Amino acid sequence: MHDVIAFIEHTAGQPRRVSLEAATKAKELASKLGGKAHAVIVGGGASAAAEILKGYPVDQIHVLDDAALDGFLIDPSVDALESVAKAAGPALVLVPNTMTGRDVGSRLAARLDAGMNADATDIVVNGTNVACVSPKLGGLTITTCAFKNSEYGVVAIRPNVFTAQAQAGAGEIVAIAPSGKSYAIVVEETVNEAAAELGVEEASVVVSGGRGLGGPEPFKTILKDLADELGGAVGASRAAVDAGWISHGHQVGQTGKTISPNLYIAVGISGAIQHKVGMRTASTIVAINKDGGVPIADFADLLVVGDAFAIVPELTRAVRSAKA
Amino acid sequence: MKIVVTVKLVPDTSADKRIDPATKRLVRGGVETVLNPFDEYAIEAALQLKEKLGEGTTVTIFTMAPETGKEVVRKALAMGADDAVMLSDAGLAGSDIWGTSYAMAAALKKIGFDLVITGTQSTDAITGDVPGMLAEYLGVPGLTYLRKLEVDGDKVRGQRETETGFQTVSAATPALVSVTKSINEPRYPSLKGIMGAKKKTIVMMTLAELGLTKAVGSDGAKTELTDLATPPVRGKGQVVTAADGTEGARIIVDFLKEKKLL
Repeated sequence: MHDVIAFIEHTAGQPRRVSLEAATKAKELASKLGGKAHAVIVGGGASAAAEILKGYPVDQIHVLDDAALDGFLIDPSVDALESVAKAAGPALVLVPNTMTGRDVGSRLAARLDAGMNADATDIVVNGTNVACVSPKLGGLTITTCAFKNSEYGVVAIRPNVFTAQAQAGAGEIVAIAPSGKSYAIVVEETVNEAAAELGVEEASVVVSGGRGLGGPEPFKTILKDLADELGGAVGASRAAVDAGWISHGHQVGQTGKTISPNLYIAVGISGAIQHKVGMRTASTIVAINKDGGVPIADFADLLVVGDAFAIVPELTRAVRSAKA
Repeated sequence: MKIVVTVKLVPDTSADKRIDPATKRLVRGGVETVLNPFDEYAIEAALQLKEKLGEGTTVTIFTMAPETGKEVVRKALAMGADDAVMLSDAGLAGSDIWGTSYAMAAALKKIGFDLVITGTQSTDAITGDVPGMLAEYLGVPGLTYLRKLEVDGDKVRGQRETETGFQTVSAATPALVSVTKSINEPRYPSLKGIMGAKKKTIVMMTLAELGLTKAVGSDGAKTELTDLATPPVRGKGQVVTAADGTEGARIIVDFLKEKKLL
């Protein structure tokens, strides 16, 4: 492998942040491998996204700007990546570990008969060999997997792990020839739900509440606001669910869901074993509790002892301004 | 309509899994093997389609697992599936995502299908990459992350979850769909179902029957485990007392920034 190709996932020309992380990482890896870094952008608004990508260190930006392709799922992107990969020769392809990224990456891997490494948190180059580091078994173990037996490798990179570094590269724009194919999966409509509720098992951030919240209201207000601001979901302990404050679908723990989000914020949750087994594999655990002697103090990365009703709304505001 | 549901056998999700520091392998002793919980939604989706479409629709369970997994496959049959096929071969040991998908696709082609239904991911590997690779090797449309699924003639349509809402997607069969946990509540096997499952057929399949042209198992794998590390046990972190909401928020924001979570 010498070249590195980053698949740029975007919405109407606005790249997802993880794609900028992928573009930055692509250049770093390509330099080590002695090859070029490519970005591949497909769909309506691809040219606008390419302008943004010029501010990142990639050598070539391959563009297929055609809004009609947005009417089909996955396949146009796979075709575009395949054509760029085949022209580049042995290459590493970086896709975001998102729903679309996994779909595109896995289909591409099969198309290229390539190895696939999922949910990478680090990528190591050794000569011309590439290995990926990924947490497995819900963070219980960290594996390093090297590619072999294949000219190509596909890596789904975990969002928020690699740094997006704005620094203009050669940024040569290259048009991708349309495949001319008719595609099988029709997207009949795309709906953005204002009140989209992300399930706790799929959310990368989960804000959970427990007995300490005292009633159903905080789940709908202060926790929901914080979860929305962090792009996450609202979870709950068994005590809160059993009290009827929130539905069972939100329950984290032995008799609820076992989850591994990037960030778990436990509000008013003591952290008894039945809850712990459901969330201890979160990458980072932050707890807010009025009592510093609760069991969660022993395994949270940060326990803030204080009044959750005062801290959580302030935290929501602080996150909002930090993002702005 | 012939529906095939792919399932994986995984270590019990509620068990306290641990890695033996000496062998760097998962300690399996005392840990029960169960159906991957995500796959129960796929089975339920298939059974609901069968109930809706009526006569002429069958549900076959497919798994790639050692023969010892038979009893777990019976649980899927007890839910109401008609029969099962197990691809079981020592030559598959050490297969990676690529080899798994490649071998599974060959087996599914041999079984024949109008619709393949999968879960979104397994609770042990959690890659979520098999449905896509499988669809590509099968050469069929892959409609993924569906929270609603309907079949009308030779057309399959569903609501695909996205991070911000959903997309209504459709394609002609034969096709593959993966379904999420939001699609249904999987049924519990009834006593009658459990008794009936004992009489249902589980066909054993080996690699030799598939006529694969590429090597699978550890020899053919395109990724190789080179290192396995045990992360440090989650220890006690910082405990900080906040005088008021503003201070508490600042402590947390600083911490999240330091962790690159913000």
